[in-house]
Amino acid sequence: MLFFRSEERVREWCEALGVPLRPLVRIDQLWALAVAWYATRLQPTSRRPQPDEMRRIFASLGLEGDFWDPQSDRFGSA
Amino acid sequence: MDRDLDVKIAVYAHFAEEARRPAPGEIARRVGCGVPEVLASYARLRAQRVLLLEEDGESIRMAPPFSGVPTQHVSVVGGRRYFANCAWDSFGIPAALGKEGTVESRCEQSREPLRLAIGRDGPPPSDWLFHCAVPAAHWWDDLVLT
Repeated sequence: MLFFRSEERVREWCEALGVPLRPLVRIDQLWALAVAWYATRLQPTSRRPQPDEMRRIFASLGLEGDFWDPQSDRFGSA
Repeated sequence: MDRDLDVKIAVYAHFAEEARRPAPGEIARRVGCGVPEVLASYARLRAQRVLLLEEDGESIRMAPPFSGVPTQHVSVVGGRRYFANCAWDSFGIPAALGKEGTVESRCEQSREPLRLAIGRDGPPPSDWLFHCAVPAAHWWDDLVLT
């Protein structure tokens, strides 16, 4: 999970490493993900988002499809 | 409150206060138990995907968003420099601490430095991008690679 200066830099990196280009995430979307995942992490009752919660969080940010599905079997068994 | 929850709270409090991973003895003192009990809790918390441990079973590699080892992703909050596990977690640290800060990282391809102020409402508009090569279903297969 890495930062890149531009889409061109992502494409260069993927090509160099033979890695598929995945959906790109904007900085404002990444902040929303960070808040959804971690804003309560220091509280006693905090826990990791469960699969249904993950899907809802991703969908609320327009991040949909098999890549964001925590239970997808499209990429092999988890 | 059960022991595992006490240990989890103590681990996160330690990271937040010290900006480094705790030794098992430090958690034992915070919780008021022995090191063997802490290590038993660590193993259960690993199984629950709360912590990621080094192979020794007692050194914390990750208590997301905090990293137990130095990385290229740093969150500066309240004068402390916290290592994050990844780009996502570098935003997660100021989010978890509920404080303003600065994220320092880099473009993985060009190595251009990134320095981004994080306000209470997040970072200012930026055209930098985030890319994750591993699908969500496989993030915990190898969390270090992810």
